[in-house]
Amino acid sequence: MEISSRPVVVKRMPERMSLRQARNFLKEVQPFLTSDRPQVVFDMSQVRHIDAAGVDVLLQCMRDAMKHDGDLKLAALSPQAAIVLELTRTGRLFEIYESSTAAVKSFSSFLPNAIRSSYSPLEIVSVAAPDPLAIPIQDEEPEGAGLAA
Amino acid sequence: MDVRAILIVGEAIPEPVAGSRTETIGGVPIAYLDVLGMPVLRRVLARLRRCGVTGTTLITDASLDAEPFLKRAISGIALSRVNAPSEQLWQAAETTFQNYAEGGAELVITLRIGPYTDVDYEELIQHHLDHRCAVTMAVDSSGTSLDLFVLSACSRKDAITLFRSHLRQLRRECQPFPVTSYTNRLRNAADLRYLAMDGLLRKNSVLPVGNEIKPGVWVGEHAHIHRRARLVAPAYVGAHAKIRAAAVITRGAVIEQRAEVDCGTVVENSTVLAFTYVGAGLDVMHSVVGLRHLSHLLRKVEVEISDGKLVGISALRAVSRIAGSTAGFFALIPKRIRRRLSASPELQSGAKGHESGEQEKAPAETTTLGASGSTPEASELPLAVARRYGNQ
Repeated sequence: MEISSRPVVVKRMPERMSLRQARNFLKEVQPFLTSDRPQVVFDMSQVRHIDAAGVDVLLQCMRDAMKHDGDLKLAALSPQAAIVLELTRTGRLFEIYESSTAAVKSFSSFLPNAIRSSYSPLEIVSVAAPDPLAIPIQDEEPEGAGLAA
Repeated sequence: MDVRAILIVGEAIPEPVAGSRTETIGGVPIAYLDVLGMPVLRRVLARLRRCGVTGTTLITDASLDAEPFLKRAISGIALSRVNAPSEQLWQAAETTFQNYAEGGAELVITLRIGPYTDVDYEELIQHHLDHRCAVTMAVDSSGTSLDLFVLSACSRKDAITLFRSHLRQLRRECQPFPVTSYTNRLRNAADLRYLAMDGLLRKNSVLPVGNEIKPGVWVGEHAHIHRRARLVAPAYVGAHAKIRAAAVITRGAVIEQRAEVDCGTVVENSTVLAFTYVGAGLDVMHSVVGLRHLSHLLRKVEVEISDGKLVGISALRAVSRIAGSTAGFFALIPKRIRRRLSASPELQSGAKGHESGEQEKAPAETTTLGASGSTPEASELPLAVARRYGNQ
């Protein structure tokens, strides 16, 4: 069921997202984020280096998008980007998709489906074999599960 | 019996992934890095000394830029050291062997670190003498060499063949010595983590340096643990390490000496290497962090983190550390004064209670996200964000 016909902007992030590059990137995407109900996807497949300034810019972009009743989603995270987002606890604030196409499609999905498909986004990048060092724990029931059902 | 030892640190096993070097983390050989409070190299030297080795020569690769770490690892230990270029590493070993043979040594233990093993050197020597071999090779349970050999000083040709083949070829067949005790190849960060974890779980002889303050929790001397920090067993906090308020150290986390874990950071199933600063409000999970690198054990990726607010490195030399902390202290005073001045007019104008509470929280969030060039608007962003969808 499609509920959105507004355009979705997909922006590929640069290879390096340190202070200077992050500022330039913010300048580039600002017009999209401040438009009416923006729908933006950041493709992070090229990102090889991201620091706190880069993460800060991502948060700022999300805030801008949400201010205008829009949304910002991340797609195709490189392992480096995924690690830094996990390290800084910011990965949980974004909807993260395997590919830009999946992220774009999610904008046109019905709301409960969007929630279901986007829950626990960092799981999609952890495709490595289970670590024998990791002590198994019982996952808590996700907060959004009830809502999705 | 005159037994001498030659230790070689340098040449790594060829790595299938192009461009990467095994047995190092951030360019520093794993042998020089601390495991539960003591470098691997130092532990090996201590074991050798315990079994009666009278002289030791350490041959290191000059191309490795890790001199401060090496000096720390061997400080206070009497040994000869040869720093040779990569291409002359084995030639230096050969020369050292000849010197030992001429100096009256009967047996020479040669080992490359490399692999770590809890082998009983006395048993190994006895095996060598019993089988009357020129060279005895120690092998693991699968029959693979552990780069540990005992050479009879009189059989120089065998030694030359061994050194010239980079410990890969023997001149004559020998009865190998099967090592049944604990072995660890120490090829990468994951192996380092396994070694530390096995030490905490008492599966090897790598004992934590420190005191067991409660079952499974080891703390080194002069470690600063904030009363609001949580340590969950098994865990290790090294000497002079700092665990700040609300930090959580859990699931076999190892904080090596002089490392610092800042406020609110969770370290889970990870190792924080010595002299590493881990920023505030982070989640460090299934990783080995240090030397401006983060090796994620599940994703099998090593990431360089140049942002000192996330993962930093403190100076190895005490003088540099004191200078750094003094400079930090003096830089803090103007900030505090400015903050006090900016806070006081608002308090006087009656903006008390809830608003002033928010004012005080804002700098903490800025520290957590830690962008050096962050705008003031960015710091206002709360960490918990209520999502909205569409026009709802």
